[in-house]
Amino acid sequence: MEQNKIIEIKNLSKQFKDVKAVDDLNLNVYKGDVFGFLGPNGAGKSTTIRMLLSLISPDNGEIKIFDKSLKENRIEILSKIGAIVEKPDFYGYLSAYKNLEILGKISGREISSKKIMEVLELVSLEKRYKSKVKTFSHGMKQRLGIAQALIHDPELIILDEPTTGLDPQGMKEIRDLIIYLSKEKNKTIFLSSHILYEVELVANRMIIINKGSAKVEGRVEDLLNANKLRVAVEVDNSEKVKMLLSTTRWNENLETVANNKMIFNLPQNEVAELNKYLVENGILVNALIPTRSLEDYFLTITQKASG
Amino acid sequence: MKFFTFLLLPFIIFAQSNNPDVIIRNLKNEFNKVKDYSVDVNIKVDVSFLKVPEMNAKIYFKQPDKIHIQSEGFAMLPRDGLYTSPLSFLKNDYTAIYVRDEIIDGSNASVIKIIPLNDKGDLVLTTMWIDQKRNVILKVESTTKTNGTFTMDLNYGDNKYPLPSSMLFVFNAERSKLTQFDRNDENSKKKKPQMISGKVYISYSNYVVNKGLPDSLFEQKGKNNSNISSDVH
Amino acid sequence: MIKLINIELYKIFKKWRTYIGFIAIAILIPMIEFAISFEGTRSLNFVTREIQQTFIFVGNLLNTYFVSYLILNSLAIHIPFLITLVAGDLLAGEATAGTYRILITRPISRFEIVTSKFIAGMIYTFLLILWLAVISLGLGYFLFGTGELIVLKSGSIIVLAKNDIFWRFLLAYGFALLSMGVVASLAFLFSSLVENAIGPIITTMAIIIIFLIISAINIDIFQSIKPYLFTSYMNTWSSFFDNPIDTTEIIKSVSILAAHIIVFFGFTLFIFRQKDILT
Repeated sequence: MEQNKIIEIKNLSKQFKDVKAVDDLNLNVYKGDVFGFLGPNGAGKSTTIRMLLSLISPDNGEIKIFDKSLKENRIEILSKIGAIVEKPDFYGYLSAYKNLEILGKISGREISSKKIMEVLELVSLEKRYKSKVKTFSHGMKQRLGIAQALIHDPELIILDEPTTGLDPQGMKEIRDLIIYLSKEKNKTIFLSSHILYEVELVANRMIIINKGSAKVEGRVEDLLNANKLRVAVEVDNSEKVKMLLSTTRWNENLETVANNKMIFNLPQNEVAELNKYLVENGILVNALIPTRSLEDYFLTITQKASG
Repeated sequence: MKFFTFLLLPFIIFAQSNNPDVIIRNLKNEFNKVKDYSVDVNIKVDVSFLKVPEMNAKIYFKQPDKIHIQSEGFAMLPRDGLYTSPLSFLKNDYTAIYVRDEIIDGSNASVIKIIPLNDKGDLVLTTMWIDQKRNVILKVESTTKTNGTFTMDLNYGDNKYPLPSSMLFVFNAERSKLTQFDRNDENSKKKKPQMISGKVYISYSNYVVNKGLPDSLFEQKGKNNSNISSDVH
Repeated sequence: MIKLINIELYKIFKKWRTYIGFIAIAILIPMIEFAISFEGTRSLNFVTREIQQTFIFVGNLLNTYFVSYLILNSLAIHIPFLITLVAGDLLAGEATAGTYRILITRPISRFEIVTSKFIAGMIYTFLLILWLAVISLGLGYFLFGTGELIVLKSGSIIVLAKNDIFWRFLLAYGFALLSMGVVASLAFLFSSLVENAIGPIITTMAIIIIFLIISAINIDIFQSIKPYLFTSYMNTWSSFFDNPIDTTEIIKSVSILAAHIIVFFGFTLFIFRQKDILT
């Protein structure tokens, strides 16, 4: 089935002096997606988003949004996009309302004051609409950032790390809002994040990028298949366990053995069974840690990026 | 016309004096008929480094030497050329010498030289052309200590009193400090002091004579007034 | 576009730095005028002392025109500073605040952004000059009244008739607007290059001061480059007080200054359209 492509990025590259920020990136976002754009800090997420919004121009490659070339249809495309790019900055000397009014006026359509108040209500800032933005906390600015992205009722919403700096309650509110916008308002959402868990909770499709290019792409369900866990089992004698399992169906699931740590790829419902079998056969199981392969991978590249 | 002039000539010569003191006394007596007057003046200045529009002012005079100038707007009048009274040339001690008679603009005039006897005034040597028939000065040529030389040509029209209806003032002075004000100006920097000449044309109208001007008028002070004391020269 | 200009003006006039210029003029001009009024005609005498030996002056030469002329003459450095304060902030201010991101991601072209900001900056410049004109002439009228204007120019003393002056002031202020337009567009150009408003303000002022110093020093090499410095044409406003007016000189200066504005604006547009927004 040919789905409606909302964003189509082909062979996108951007270099800053010696650093290749984005390197031959390809991705597709379809209508109705909540698309997780995942990568560690410095992976090229923001550079990609800036190119999607024409803040910076690509060295190479093509961006199509709503099936049209961004380069040639910039204004038409931007009128249907709402976005937060990095931290939410506003005209601090103006009120929240006035900021939205100004941004609304240049959004290509008439924005009523009723609409402004509705959007402020959606992000729970309606009581502070008169306050100057410079008096706002980071969380309030983050919410106002979402408000300005929604003010002109865009089809595509691009959110760059929208939960950065928020407390768990604030993070949850934003997640709920994303789900609401996707489910109730049928928006397509492009969500960048460096936290896998966050993407997993809201996205249906995702891509992981590192060093400017795509590493993994697909449906979140498939990529994070909860039925196939990577389970690290720590035992007292791995040789004995190997022998014991050699005749069982679990032999196929064994991936690696290092010292007394054995890694199995297992469906979730078999974890308990394996444990029971080992214990019944006199094996001392010190620890049984289920992890997911993608999570491991992501953790590795994130650690590399931050280390 | 020539014929008539020829006929009249002996009579005129008869009425004329060659004695400078008599001529000057007659001049003074004639002017003393005027106790005070006011007059509207129109001033046109033609000086190369002065670009000034036509100006109007009102001059008040009261004997012996009270002068008051009033103007709605700005007016600049030459200090030496502010002719209000023929007596202004005769204030200090002097010797007068009769030189000759000349015809000026069709009028016969006696040329009198005035030589000051001391250094008090600014005038060094003054020559006056006096019309003895009307007892008025037709022309003055003078050398001053500070302001170069000047000449005045006076016309009287048909005024009842010996007061001019127009006057052309021509002066020659060294252009020195006059133009040092504009330090940033290239032209003035490069130009060396030079002789400059200028003309001021004054026409007098609406004389009001002997109506008794109060002394207080000559003591007024203000932006639009100027009182000139007797030391004009 | 008008909507954008309105928004830019709204932003300009919501910043307190905008009012520094208006406040400075509102303090400085009255100070000068009260000082002159206190000094009385003494402040005029330095102009007229020499000719007063030859001529008697009657009338009100110490009037609002004289004072306003004097003020216009002495503000060659101060007004540019007040202009750069706002013009240098127009683009760089958005960079500093990070608001480029919410502005440029809107469906408006960069051409529109640059042009609307430029026009808003010019309107600010216009209002500042208008304010200067109103305060100098208005307060001057209140303190000194009107009268003829005495001007010293090219070794001449020019006295202009009372009813022959006001239009000259209008044109002179108009010319001052053009000069300040050059200052504004230069600051605007620098503003497009950097992420902080201090840079454009200092750079623009440094250029103006250096140019003025070069013009003022009487060394042949400096004098020979003087025609290439835009500051050399900023004083031509005083030509409107010449009699007769040297139209050729004014047209030359106006064209040179206008060309500067166009070139500076063109560069700004060129730079800004290519600019990667990284703030």
